[in-house]
Amino acid sequence: MTRLLATTALAALMAGSAFAVELKVGAANVTTYLDPGRDHSNVGSQFYYNSFDVLVEKNYDTLETEWRPGLATEWKLVEPTVMELKLRQGVKFHNGDAMTADDVVFSLNRMYQADFPPYQVRARDRLANFEKAEKVDEQTIRITAKKEEPLWETLLNLQQVMIVPMKYTMSLAGDPNALEHDDFEAFSLKPVGTGPYKVAELAPGERLVWERFDDFWGDKAPLERVTVTQIPETASRITALKTGEVDLITNVAPDQLTLIEQDPKLKAVGSATALFHVMIMNVNHPTLKDPRIRQAMSLAVDRDTLNEALWFGKAIVPSTHTMQEYGPLYMPDLVTFEYNPEKAKELLKEAGYNGEEIVYTSFPTYYTNGLLAAQAIVDMWKAVGINGKVEVNDKWTGGAPEMMARNWSNPMYFADPFGSFGVMWAPGGPSQSEGRFNTDEAYAESWERFRFSKDIEARKAAYAELMDRIKADPPLLPLYRPYESWAMSTNIDWAPKKGHIPYVLDFRAGSITFATN
Amino acid sequence: MIAYAVRVIAKALVTFLAIVTLVFFFTRITGNPIDYVIGQGITQEDRALLMTYFGLDQPLWLQYLRFLRAFVDGEFGLSFVERRPVTEIVADRLWPSLQLLGSGLALTLLLSIPLGIVAAIERKSWIGNAVMSFAFIGYAIPNFVLATFLILIFAYWLNWLPVVGNGTALHFIMPTITLSGVMIAALTRFTRNAMLDVLGQDYMRTARAKGLSERQGLFKHGLRNASITILSVIGLQVAGLAASGNVVVEAIFAWPGIGDLLVRSAIQRDYPVLQFGVIAVSVAVLTVNALVDIAYAYADPRIRLARA
Repeated sequence: MTRLLATTALAALMAGSAFAVELKVGAANVTTYLDPGRDHSNVGSQFYYNSFDVLVEKNYDTLETEWRPGLATEWKLVEPTVMELKLRQGVKFHNGDAMTADDVVFSLNRMYQADFPPYQVRARDRLANFEKAEKVDEQTIRITAKKEEPLWETLLNLQQVMIVPMKYTMSLAGDPNALEHDDFEAFSLKPVGTGPYKVAELAPGERLVWERFDDFWGDKAPLERVTVTQIPETASRITALKTGEVDLITNVAPDQLTLIEQDPKLKAVGSATALFHVMIMNVNHPTLKDPRIRQAMSLAVDRDTLNEALWFGKAIVPSTHTMQEYGPLYMPDLVTFEYNPEKAKELLKEAGYNGEEIVYTSFPTYYTNGLLAAQAIVDMWKAVGINGKVEVNDKWTGGAPEMMARNWSNPMYFADPFGSFGVMWAPGGPSQSEGRFNTDEAYAESWERFRFSKDIEARKAAYAELMDRIKADPPLLPLYRPYESWAMSTNIDWAPKKGHIPYVLDFRAGSITFATN
Repeated sequence: MIAYAVRVIAKALVTFLAIVTLVFFFTRITGNPIDYVIGQGITQEDRALLMTYFGLDQPLWLQYLRFLRAFVDGEFGLSFVERRPVTEIVADRLWPSLQLLGSGLALTLLLSIPLGIVAAIERKSWIGNAVMSFAFIGYAIPNFVLATFLILIFAYWLNWLPVVGNGTALHFIMPTITLSGVMIAALTRFTRNAMLDVLGQDYMRTARAKGLSERQGLFKHGLRNASITILSVIGLQVAGLAASGNVVVEAIFAWPGIGDLLVRSAIQRDYPVLQFGVIAVSVAVLTVNALVDIAYAYADPRIRLARA
């Protein structure tokens, strides 16, 4: 800490230049690999933005959608399904290689035309509409979509299509001039990108060290070095922050916040994460086949009380599957989910529910407050006459035919309803494929209009139709957006930015500063 | 002596094969790594694709045979999560754990044997009582409570010691004390009791009668005879700690050891890491047991003669 203060004072003298500062972060989890293409985990999301760039950048300070040049400086549609992009010149990778059009084409096609299974899986749920990327000349590339694409920028801003070096990747395993699956495996432990920090050390699940990359094409990184250490125990993390061993910590549980607030040297920042904790219900389970029973299971849950009791009122309870981050597609007026115990009782009666046991399965610890919410929900069910039972299981049971109800999450993988509901509840998507959700032609037709209409109003209308279907025959109930906190010493000014996907630790220029105190 | 050692080792090998077989099959009954590695939100087709990629679509017996073959060619495979050889991952994690175990054991031996002897000799005075009270309290306090007190005093209030990691010698102090607290307490009591048993024996009276000083008698005859019990207790404690006891200490102090790794691999169903990690720990435990057995024979000629 003394060292931090000293260097801060020094940094204040060096106005205008980058700080010579080292930041120490204590994280609940440090990733076990870094490969932006295959990863979409909450743990991994923390670490990509500092080291990798996308073609189309975004203003992350605001919830409004404001696209900015990234590794592409301009882009325009040259045909209804073909986008041409001009590439930024003079960009270097952390290993010293210059970024070329070949690297960009390679990075995109490793996903668009994936034959490496972990990439195939990731590409299929969000990048299926892209056919190929091609080099036009050294400064220009073209991307061809299969159908007209309304979300070009959104899908070029994804973590999965961050730009990586081709030659370097090919050289990692086997034949240095050929691309093999082992090259991708090796890359995930020796990642190289074009971002303002290079990965100086990755000890999987233990420690990640970033160092400022002096050849970065944009504003220089404000920190010289960042060490992120995994400290799994919350109490140890908070103690390490209090003793000055680390300057910033992640994942402070809501009930621990008073410990931070009582200490004048510390502060906490937080936000309702762009992710829903949800309760899913198996529409094909014999006991739950009648939609009225599932409607009752949903109407019986007082989510505001869950928010007050478990999150001190800091979580966000949604009226439908929507988030403010969606910009023009945010639809808070739509009411798909509500609390109405009287109606629940009526529906149970109409459906002829005879007290059959309904099991709610919960992971023991995976979701913060997940098990407590499960117990409360089953009690709320009891109040309307549902004979519920909590079963704790650390196995994912979402694909088991005997699963009745359980906890899950629907993260926002990118800021569009397609990036959350659209991935999880697509026709033929994971929920249907696991056999706990059905779609028909009408649903698929609405989904298609929601996904591909170029007119925003048409997309909203189609999304409303999908929500009506969900309301009439519910396979899920979004409970809330959990509240997530970070704590730090008071002389650091950092907060998660609104425009990012959840959990990103953004230490780029303008994202972290040291207050003069 | 050699025949005895061979038998001890053969027994250890059979136990080892049983352990690896159980680990192989039990881990596969309880879950699937795909849910943990890729996350819960993929279609059944994609799940099948990844099962093939990870080689999990093969019949179980074939996977088992392939696993056994690893003992011949040394190819224990890649972690599903970290995508690097499990031998490398486990080696990285085993060393910090062994260091901590070593320092814990050293502190235990350094404190508990002298304390046990003192408690036996001074059993009727306040010194003996004080030692035994200390041992009793030490035995009763769970290690996570001890760790919390140490952190509160030495890190939180005094700010003398670091809480997380294993970077410097200072980092060893609190984890070592936490780890050895129960061992010191247990071994002090056992040493005292073993010494008391021995002190009342006829050969001790003989030793005194033939003119050996109290100190000579104590160390030459007393301690040597008591060492069988002491060795057993050390063996059991170390084996127990190597297998599981480190987990709590490693989690609290963010010590990058094997306990933390095994728990994480078990949760994520990272079979290759779990299998090899358990193998490494089993080898460590069996080695300790075999060494203790052999040490018995060294300490007590009756054992090596009876079992040879």
